[in-house]
Amino acid sequence: MKEIIKIENLNKVYDTGAIQVHALRGVNLSVYEGEYVAIMGQSGSGKSTLMNILGCMDRQFSGLYELDGISISEQSENQLSSIRNKKIGFVFQAFQLIPRTSALKNVEIPMIYAGMKREERHERAKRLLEKVGLGERIYHMPNELSGGQKQRVAIARALANSPAIILADEPTGNLDTRASHEIMEFFTELNREGATVIVVTHEEDIAACTKRIIRFQDGQIIQDERVVKEEC
Amino acid sequence: MENIRLAASAIRANKMRSFLTMLGMIIGISSVIAIVSLGDTMRGVVANEYKNVGLGLAYVYINSQNDYYGESELFTQDEADRLKEAMGDSISYVGFNQSTRTDLKAGRRSSTVYVTGLAENPTAMKNPSIIYGRMLNDGDVQKKRHHMVLQKETAVNMFGTENAVGQTVEVKLNDNMEEFLVVGVYQNTDSALMKALQGGSMETVYVPESILVSEDSMMWSLYMIISDVSQMDMMKERIISFLSRTKHVERETIIMSSASEEMGMIDSMLGSLSAVVGAIAAISLVVGGIGIMNIMLVSVTERTREIGIRKALGAKTRDILIQFLVEAAMISAAGGMIGTALGISVVAIGGLAFGITTVVKLQVIVVAVAFSAMVGLGFGLYPARKAAKADPVIALRYE
Ligand SMILES: Nc1ncnc2c1ncn2[C@@H]1O[C@H](COP(=O)(O)OP(=O)(O)OP(=O)(O)O)[C@@H](O)[C@H]1O
Ligand SMILES: [Mg+2]
Repeated sequence: MKEIIKIENLNKVYDTGAIQVHALRGVNLSVYEGEYVAIMGQSGSGKSTLMNILGCMDRQFSGLYELDGISISEQSENQLSSIRNKKIGFVFQAFQLIPRTSALKNVEIPMIYAGMKREERHERAKRLLEKVGLGERIYHMPNELSGGQKQRVAIARALANSPAIILADEPTGNLDTRASHEIMEFFTELNREGATVIVVTHEEDIAACTKRIIRFQDGQIIQDERVVKEEC
Repeated sequence: MENIRLAASAIRANKMRSFLTMLGMIIGISSVIAIVSLGDTMRGVVANEYKNVGLGLAYVYINSQNDYYGESELFTQDEADRLKEAMGDSISYVGFNQSTRTDLKAGRRSSTVYVTGLAENPTAMKNPSIIYGRMLNDGDVQKKRHHMVLQKETAVNMFGTENAVGQTVEVKLNDNMEEFLVVGVYQNTDSALMKALQGGSMETVYVPESILVSEDSMMWSLYMIISDVSQMDMMKERIISFLSRTKHVERETIIMSSASEEMGMIDSMLGSLSAVVGAIAAISLVVGGIGIMNIMLVSVTERTREIGIRKALGAKTRDILIQFLVEAAMISAAGGMIGTALGISVVAIGGLAFGITTVVKLQVIVVAVAFSAMVGLGFGLYPARKAAKADPVIALRYE
């Protein structure tokens, strides 16, 4: 099986002048194509720090990180933009939709930066929104959507350029239980279709939907176990 | 293309703010265009006026060495005739430009006008647009006929009709009343602005100069029309030499000036005046540019999160830079275009009010709009670069 993520001895230090925060301490991790991973751990244990590095938004680390065979620390700023655009689908806790911009336009954004033609991305954005059950609401503005609906737009957007991996940092953190389960069902469905998914969560029952749970503490992996799949 | 649509929607989302930002540009551009066009219009009016007068017009006088003006400083009719003879075809007209303010009488009606004398070849000096009868001719001058050409308004005033040809008018000249026959009526075609500049609307009538000037009169100055304006410098030289020789005076005391020189002076004066005022107005463009920079900085800060999202989704530094540059350029270009329209309308309305044909040069518009777009790009660059350099992780966390 193909190794999508390969991390060796990853260290990350935040230098805020007065104090230095050692957010990641020698993390080793491999994620293979088609895996469905949950990352858990106390607040401040370094989960988001890891996700930002995995998402190629943060290049200030030491150690090795290869995404789909590409060594990230050797890439230029612009190359990283292009990797984020084509290989990564990011879903955030705070949705991060662009305000005053329709759901359709929001989903189109990664395709615009990928240089896709107008009609083509229009069609694709529509299909993705239908897939997440928002076919009726493609022209709604973000402030006209519920939290769960916003997160579904964000998922559609993450899928825009058929990424190699989907990274979700507490995607259900702002949602109630029902909406949370709906969102998790999408990830499960995507994984069933073959997508590689990494989800950060605080909730055990959310993590239980996945196939592998990694636990963090003080910037280190303290447990990495495969779970016997129960239905969510 | 996508950037233009994006910028348009950003501008639309903040209509009032965008308009206020444009206002600086609008005021700057419209005042530059109005001022520079006003200057060009004035130059056009002056050039036109000198063309009416004739650029070949020149006059000469002799400065006295000792405050006493005698035969050697003043001119007689005989000397004028000799000068014309000596210069042949190079001079089409020589006269004294005699003009007196006096009363005309016809029956019980009277009117105060300027009576202006014209020498031989009168149309070389004045070529008014005749609406009835004819202009004075050489015969009138040579034979000292008491003929007169009236201005239309004078004719109406005196005879109640524009066509006063054939009527007789009494004119008070040197304490004598002399009778004149009206041979023609002309219409004053000066622009309203020119009339205003000449100070009111005193009417002018033309008579043969030979009637106003007697054989032994001594005159201060000679007026002449040089046939070929391009030969002006050479002709000046010839005329000064001739006068210095015949009147036995130093060349330096002979002062000669021409309409083309005067026009050149006035034209360059107006030109530099409108350039200076235009430059001052251009400063307001810079102020407008600072307004754009200010609002773009606010916009970048407000949209930090949006920038973060776009970068996380794969926008390159260049994409963000272009997005904000296009927005700044569009605001200033829109302001520039509205300002151009406003400036042109101000000039057009002003021209209508003064009854003059206005001049709005295309290159003024092109330069003004190009300059405004440059100002937009220049002042948009700093905010746009600030936006483009944002770190996605930090920008996403921005509240
Ligand atoms: N930009 C930053 N500058 C300085 N320190 C930071 C920064 N971001 C995170 N940290 C620190 O790094 C450590 C790990 O933070 P991180 O956000 O990765 O935790 P987390 O596991 O995601 O927590 P949570 O569950 O609350 O989201 C924390 O101690 C945090 O204070
Ligand atoms: Mg976190």
